[in-house]
Amino acid sequence: MTLQCPSCGREQEPQLICQQCGMPLPVELDCFAALGLPRKLTIDLPALEERYHDLGKRIHPDRFASSPPRVRSASLSGAALLTRSYRTLRDPVSRGLYWLELNGEKLAENNKQVPAELAETVFEVQEQLAELREAGAGDGALRREVEKRRVELGLAMDELREGLARNFIRWDRSDGSDRAELVAELKSILSKIAYMRTLIRDVDRELDSPRTA
Amino acid sequence: MSRIFGIDLGTTNSLIAVIEGGKARVIADPDTNDALLPSVVAIAPDGRVYVGKEAIAMEPRLSREEEGRVSAVGFPGGEYGAVIRSVKRYMGLGGAEVAEQERRRYAFTDVSGPVVRFQIGKRVYTAPQISAEILRALKLRAEKALGEKVERVVITVPAYFNDGQRQATKDAGRLAGLEVVRLVNEPTAASLAYGLNQLAEGKVAVYDLGGGTFDISILNIKGGVFEVLATNGDTHLGGDDIDQALVDWLLEGTAEALKADRHVWNSARHVAEEAKKRLSSVEETELTLELPGAVVRKTLSRAELERLAEPLVKRTLERCAMALKDAGLARGEVEAVVLVGGATRMPLVRRRVAELFGREALCSLDPDHVVALGAAVQAGVLMGTQRDMLLLDVVPLSLGIETVGGVMERLIHRNTTIPTSVTEKFTTAVDNQTHVDIHVLQGEREMAKDCRSLARFKLGPLAPSPAGFPRIAVTFLIDANGILNVSARDERTGREHSVDVKPSYGLTDEEIERMLEEAIDLGEVDVEERLLIVARNDAHQILSALAKQLGEWGHLVSAEERTAFEQASAKLEAASQGTDRELISKLVEELNEMTTPFAERIMDAAIKQALEKKSIEELS
Repeated sequence: MTLQCPSCGREQEPQLICQQCGMPLPVELDCFAALGLPRKLTIDLPALEERYHDLGKRIHPDRFASSPPRVRSASLSGAALLTRSYRTLRDPVSRGLYWLELNGEKLAENNKQVPAELAETVFEVQEQLAELREAGAGDGALRREVEKRRVELGLAMDELREGLARNFIRWDRSDGSDRAELVAELKSILSKIAYMRTLIRDVDRELDSPRTA
Repeated sequence: MSRIFGIDLGTTNSLIAVIEGGKARVIADPDTNDALLPSVVAIAPDGRVYVGKEAIAMEPRLSREEEGRVSAVGFPGGEYGAVIRSVKRYMGLGGAEVAEQERRRYAFTDVSGPVVRFQIGKRVYTAPQISAEILRALKLRAEKALGEKVERVVITVPAYFNDGQRQATKDAGRLAGLEVVRLVNEPTAASLAYGLNQLAEGKVAVYDLGGGTFDISILNIKGGVFEVLATNGDTHLGGDDIDQALVDWLLEGTAEALKADRHVWNSARHVAEEAKKRLSSVEETELTLELPGAVVRKTLSRAELERLAEPLVKRTLERCAMALKDAGLARGEVEAVVLVGGATRMPLVRRRVAELFGREALCSLDPDHVVALGAAVQAGVLMGTQRDMLLLDVVPLSLGIETVGGVMERLIHRNTTIPTSVTEKFTTAVDNQTHVDIHVLQGEREMAKDCRSLARFKLGPLAPSPAGFPRIAVTFLIDANGILNVSARDERTGREHSVDVKPSYGLTDEEIERMLEEAIDLGEVDVEERLLIVARNDAHQILSALAKQLGEWGHLVSAEERTAFEQASAKLEAASQGTDRELISKLVEELNEMTTPFAERIMDAAIKQALEKKSIEELS
C-alpha cells in the first residue's frame, strides 16, 4: 500500500512526513511505523529518543504556523501520533502490552487471579501493611521491616523486567513457530508486573504517609 | 506576512519583545523608555480607558471623586469609574469562583454566570476585555517604537493555567485585534530565553513566582529540544498574597470599618508592596500609612517579613516536590535551577529554593524580562528563524469524562506531552436513544463533582437503533497551546459528526463577536472617536434596557411617565445617530435619572414577586 502526498503528489510508503517535500502526511500508522522502526521488540532507547526528537522537529505544528489549515491539521494529528507512539514504545511494559494488542491478544479483562508465584508475597505484604497501619508511628522495628520488604520487591521487579527483556529477544528471533508459547509467557510476565506495581505503590503509599513517618 | 511578537501578559507587569538576528530584546516605550507596563487598567466615568502608569495616576482621582455615586440602573454598589489590578487572577473564572475576599476589592455582577463580570459604573466588563486593553497598549507601544504593524503574537500563560484560563487569554488577544499564534507556558518560555545561549544541556528546574501565580516546571534540554518532563503550580499564589499578608499585619488593630474600605486597602497594599521591595536589600524598614484621622507607623524587619511569607513559600516547595516526583527525578538530579518572576527577588525565596535543589539558582537574566524574551524566542521558532529549537510542553492537568456514578474517568493524564490525542468509543444505553451526553472534566480528583467542568456536548442526533449498536469514536485532542479540541466520527458510516462543545466557563463565540463589533478596533481610532463609540454603546444599552422593561413592567408607569420616557428616548435615539458625544452622554444621563423611580419600582416588584413565589413553594 502506498500513499500520495497531497502537497507534492509523490507516491510513497505510508509515513509521517513526505520524503520529498517534508510536509506532514495525513495518515494513520501503528507506533512502529510512526517512528519509522521495524516491528521489533528490542529497542535502543537513546536511539529512539533521538529519532523522536528529529521527527518532532520536522512535524511539530510550530513548524507550520503560517501554513494552510489542511497542513496545520495534518501536522497536529501527526505530532500527537508521534508522541503517543514514543511514549508507548519507550516503556517496555506498555510496549509489551501494545505488542499483545498488535497480535490480537490482550491481558484478560478481569485479571483478578493473583499469579500463583506471587500469591504468597502479596498476602504477606498486605498483612505487614495492615500491622503497620495499626501500630502507627511508634513502631520503628515494624517500619524497618517494611522498608526491607520494599527493597526486596524492587529487586523482584528488576528480575521481572529482565524476564521481559529476554522474552522480547525471543520474539525478535522467532520464526513464528513458537508464537503461542511466547504470547503465553509475555502475558504471564506482564500480569506479574502489573501486580508487583500495585504492591510497590501500596507499600510506598504507606511508607510516605505522615502517620507512619 | 508580518512578524510575530512575544508578549508576557503578567499579573503585575506586562511586556512585549521581539527577536532580531537571533537575539531577543524587550521593546521599551519610545517616550518614557519603560520596559515594564504595569498591568493596571483604569476606566473613567466617561468610558475613557487608561493603562499602565497612566492608570495608576488615575487611581486617587477615580477612587475619591467618584466615591459614593451609585449607579441607578444595573446593580447597586458599582462606582462610575474603577482601577483594575491583577486582572489575570480573574481570567477564565466563573462568577461563583471568585473568592469572598476578592469581592471586597471589586464590584462583580452575574455572580453565578459562566464569566466573571466587573461592574464599573453603568458598564460591565469581563476579564478578557480588560486584558485586551493591556494587550492593545503593548501593541501600540511596539508599533510606535518600530514603525511596523503588530498583528501576530505569542502570549505567555502560567503553566498551570487550565483550559478555560487559556481560552480566556486567547479571547483577550482576539479582542485586542491580535492573532494569537501560540500560547506558551511561562516557565518554558523562561527556559527558552536562557537556553538561547546560557544554559547547558540537561535537567533544569524553572521556579516561577510571579505577582499572582506560581509555576514549577522540570525540563530536559537536549539537542535544541526543550522537553518539559513535569509541571505543577498554583494559579492563585504569588507575590500578591505576600502583600496581602503584610496588609493584614499592617492593619492589625485598625477599626474593622476601615479594614473593609476599598481605598484604605489599596493604600495599605501600596505601602506594603514598597516595604517588601526595600527589604530585599535592607534588614529593616519603616512603614507609614495615612488613614482618615489617623496615621499608622510600624517597623518591619526582614525576619518578620519572612515569618509572614514562610507559609506561602512552603506551599511552593511542596509543589516543587510533586513536580520532581512526576518527573521521576531526585532533588540532586536537577542540574540547573532558574528563577523567574519579581517575587523571586526575596532573599527568603532564593534561600529556600537553593536548599531544596541543593544548588544556587541562576538569575543572570532579569526575572521580570525573561518570560517576554522567551516568548520572542518562541515567535522566532514559529517564524522559522530558530529552526533547530523545539518546545515540547505538557498538559498540566488531567482531562477526562464523567462516567456512571459521577466518577471521573481519566483519558489524558497530567504531564502528557502535547499535542496529544486520545480516541474513546461511545455507544447508547437504551434502545432508540437519540443523543449521547458527554461531560468533559479537568482535574486530579476521583469524583466528577470535585473536578472542574470544562465543557459539555451532545453526540447526535442518532438514527433509531438498538442499545449498544451505534459506535461513535470521539477524539479528544489537546493542541500545542494546551487547549482541547473535540471531533467525532461514526464508525459504522464513517461519517464525521459535528460536535457542538459548550464550554462551562468563559465567553461564547457570539459574545466575542458582539464585543468586537462594539469595540471596532478601538486601538486604531483617536480618543474622540473612541469616546463617541462608547457613548453610542451607552445609549444603545439604556434604550434597549428601557424598551425591555416597559414591555415587561409597563403596568408600573403612568401614562404621563410613559410619554415622557418615549420622548426622551426618541431624542436620544436621534442624537446617537449624530456625532455630538457630549449631547449623547447628557441625554443618557437625563434618561437615566428620569427612569430611576421606575427602576426602583421594578426592583421592589421583583423582590415582592420572588418572596411570594417562595412562600407559595413553602406552603405547597
